[in-house]
Amino acid sequence: MNAPAAAQIVSCWSCKGPVATRALFCSVCGAVQGPGTIDHFTRLGIAPSFDLDLDALQRQYFGFQKRLHPDRFASKSSKEKALSQAQATSLNEAYEALKDPLKRAAYLLNHLGHPVDLTACGTINDRELLMEQMEKREALAEATSPDQIAKLAMEAESEVIACQCHISAAINASHLEEAGHLTIRLKYLAKLAEEARAKKTRALRLP
Amino acid sequence: MAYSDKVIDHYEHPRNVGALDKDDHAVGTGLVGAPACGDVMKLQIKVSAEGIIEDAKFKTFGCGSAIASSSLVTEWVKGKTLDEAASIKNTDIAHELALPPVKIHCSVLAEDAIKAAIADYKKKSG
Repeated sequence: MNAPAAAQIVSCWSCKGPVATRALFCSVCGAVQGPGTIDHFTRLGIAPSFDLDLDALQRQYFGFQKRLHPDRFASKSSKEKALSQAQATSLNEAYEALKDPLKRAAYLLNHLGHPVDLTACGTINDRELLMEQMEKREALAEATSPDQIAKLAMEAESEVIACQCHISAAINASHLEEAGHLTIRLKYLAKLAEEARAKKTRALRLP
Repeated sequence: MAYSDKVIDHYEHPRNVGALDKDDHAVGTGLVGAPACGDVMKLQIKVSAEGIIEDAKFKTFGCGSAIASSSLVTEWVKGKTLDEAASIKNTDIAHELALPPVKIHCSVLAEDAIKAAIADYKKKSG
């Protein structure tokens, strides 16, 4: 799973020379290439994994974006301007999808052939998860003192971290079904943490 | 995104918020969630000996549309038979509340919640 995807070769639109689908520029004529249909990990030149080095991810992203800066294309043809913009947009999408642990887990599981859809209309009836979340949301709604709220917010944050560790372990052990359940759980925990943070901020603002 | 007046009305004045005794044999409880929003919805019905829903309560943690959808459903099901209540479609809810496309899943959640509550009641009453 950690081996980089094999490079696929296509023809450069400009000189027809061979160019890798993930390459930003043709190595023969130097023309900027279109984004092509490749996965986010390949696009950013990193091995598919949940446990990403976020600094390395950011370095890759900014490194590529620098080479696509509009200033560098000011004197180029409109086709090259358009292609560089399309590349920049695709890199943005890839970076946004991979830097957030929740989106990354869902994307990686899809990539590994085990779809987890966090955007669809579907509903779940995972009783254990829902009862636990119902209780936690109720506890948060009923909490009134800033101390109580801060405690619940801290608990929520640490559960988010713990869940991310469990997702990592499940994916590394190829337990994708379990990783899928944990990803939905992470979505709920992230929501709880977000609500707790918001309530904490409001509580602190009070005189 | 602007909410419709009906959504705002149900959101600001939700009907039938609360809980029924889940251990009561006449009570059916539906618990569903929408992972898209991290929403969780509990909808309960109390069924008379004649098979009529005489009371309904809900508790929803979610956006305004999810709260309005569950509030509306509790209003609709009161006085209905189980079969009538089970025939409520998410499209009816979405239409009544004028939900925008991105909030359709909130109405799906409410439809699934009432179905789950009915299923729970039927299971309990054998």
